[in-house]
Amino acid sequence: MLFSIMRNEWRTLLAERSLPAIGLLLALTIGYGIYNGQAWVSFMRESLAATQAEYAERTQKLQSDFLAYEAGSKKPVGFSDPRGASAVGGTSAVPYVALTPGPLAALSVGQSDLYPYYFKLSLRSKYLTLSNDEIENPVNLLSGRFDLAFVIVYLYPLLILALTYNLLSSEHEQGTLAMTLANPVTLKTLMAAKVLTRGLALTVLSLAILVVAIFGLTLTGNGVAWRLALWAVVMLVYGAFWFVLAVGINALGRNSSANALLLAGCWLCFALLVPALLNLASTAMYPVPSRVEMIQAMRNAGKEAQQRGSQTLARYFEDHPELAPAGGGRPDFASLSTAAQQEVDRQIQPILYRYEQQVSAQQILVDRFCYLSPAVLTQQALNDLAGTGIGAYRHFNQQADRFLKTWQDYFFPLIFARKLFVSAELASLPRYVEVPEPGSDIVRRVLLSLAGILVPTLVLTVWAIRRLNRYRLAA
Amino acid sequence: MLEAVELSKSYGAHQALHRLNLRIDPGEVYCLLGANGAGKTTTINLFLNFVEPTSGTATVNGLDVTKQALESKRHLAYIPETVMLYKNLTGLENLEYFAALSGLPAYSQAELLGFLQEAGLQAEAAHRRIGGYSKGMRQKVGISIALAKKAKALLLDEPTSGLDPKASNEFSELLKRLSDRGVAILMATHDLFRAKESGTRVGMMKHGRLMESLSTSDIGHADLEQLYLRHMHD
Repeated sequence: MLFSIMRNEWRTLLAERSLPAIGLLLALTIGYGIYNGQAWVSFMRESLAATQAEYAERTQKLQSDFLAYEAGSKKPVGFSDPRGASAVGGTSAVPYVALTPGPLAALSVGQSDLYPYYFKLSLRSKYLTLSNDEIENPVNLLSGRFDLAFVIVYLYPLLILALTYNLLSSEHEQGTLAMTLANPVTLKTLMAAKVLTRGLALTVLSLAILVVAIFGLTLTGNGVAWRLALWAVVMLVYGAFWFVLAVGINALGRNSSANALLLAGCWLCFALLVPALLNLASTAMYPVPSRVEMIQAMRNAGKEAQQRGSQTLARYFEDHPELAPAGGGRPDFASLSTAAQQEVDRQIQPILYRYEQQVSAQQILVDRFCYLSPAVLTQQALNDLAGTGIGAYRHFNQQADRFLKTWQDYFFPLIFARKLFVSAELASLPRYVEVPEPGSDIVRRVLLSLAGILVPTLVLTVWAIRRLNRYRLAA
Repeated sequence: MLEAVELSKSYGAHQALHRLNLRIDPGEVYCLLGANGAGKTTTINLFLNFVEPTSGTATVNGLDVTKQALESKRHLAYIPETVMLYKNLTGLENLEYFAALSGLPAYSQAELLGFLQEAGLQAEAAHRRIGGYSKGMRQKVGISIALAKKAKALLLDEPTSGLDPKASNEFSELLKRLSDRGVAILMATHDLFRAKESGTRVGMMKHGRLMESLSTSDIGHADLEQLYLRHMHD
């Protein structure tokens, strides 16, 4: 019975040409989305490769300069000695910390065009070195890129709704529902068959397009298989949500245009309104300190610290007695400026702290209310799987902070001890080793998002079945 | 085959059908006459379980249509005023689908074409889309569905309204053939002539009540019209 109805549905869908049209649209958008994402990832990889090349060239030159100093063929020149710890740790030997794009990064650009994915280190606070981000089109930043995740989160539901908004109402309107229900078949069976036909067609179609696209991309790296599997599950569950919603709305017994309007309203609400409101609420409730405020504070602190000069240094040594040089004597420029910089960093610390507090408060708010919209949850899950979500960047920032601390702890004592490096020591400077975010953390977050989509889907299913049971053909 | 016992349906204060008692045996063609809103369509919808009765029972082949909803529909075929089918599919594809819905084992293409032919549809039309069919052709597909379903009871809601006299006559012939095979037929109609011609019994309804029920052999065309008008006037 179910199969007979499905076969008939398949025939009508083909005869109406709606399915081929939707299939073509899906193929085009998925193809374009993947192409776009791939272009962005290539750009990121090229940027990272460029930083690595720059670092290699710089350190090589440093090495040869040092060898020349040691051989006596070249004299160290400059305002401060290039062999000094301040010069080596502050500029000439600083490495990059980078977040390498994950294996599925091309599928979801996520936050990767908003957050810096590499830093050039210095001895200063990380926030002061953030001038090296890309110049990006603000429209892209505002609306997000047209990537595969965008297709799935925003366009896929629209295609589903185009296929399902009149699932029951059209049968009623063209009179075929009465002919059908004069047979030993229940409305539930009929609807199940209709949903299954469209669901299977769309799922098979999109998975096929995805497989073709992915083979085209030749994704490699850690955990491609489980990431892709979860990606498919997220897509399936998210699709199921929209299907069930359409069935429920159809079961209300209104006409096709009313259904279309209601469903478009739902899409608008879940895909646009809730995310926008969430964004607005989080920034309105927990505003971050303005950048102007921070720059102002930095200037004031900097001016004061420089004016005081040796006083600042003395106070710094009071706070860090272990760094004070044993011999005493007149402080050199590197010590003075490092102490001054540290003083500035210390004074702007409250603003940075408030900034981080506010950002995390915003995130907590979003984490709590994202369950209002399956679209937001899906976007998060897809970003997580692509390694371009908030979680990945949080992990990266922690790593960067930790390495910055290591770097500073290594160099500060050497600056105050007026250490001069020799060529042999350059190879043993602290090195940044990128630790990818543990897969278990990602899976946990994705499963949480999945549950957040699954629960309303199940609730909607129960509601839709109840409405179908109460549906009356003739009022 | 079709039986209504004290069957009533009311929508709030409006009584659409009031304590209908009716029994249609195999081979009988019962024509329900009456003005619009007299309760003819409500009666048919009650037998189809499209609406729930307020009280009383409707049975098909002894099966209560509300309690054994699916089972009772195995024996029913329904032909509304305009047989609505999937307009993008051919007559044959439509028949194939509705025959499959009846739950009987699948028919071969030749058998399905046989049913369409038996219902009087031209062979070349079977492979054309329903969208281009006339009303009479759709009715024929409706009949072929009833044939394929091997229905024991046929419910018709004003099937001949809007058909030209020739098509209407062909339709009556088909009904006669079905009744000869022992199908019980309940037909709501405005067509007194058709009711006298193809019906074995006629019933007159007004304001949800069955006012009169008589055998067509007992009454002439003119008398039937007189009787009908008398009922409708007072």
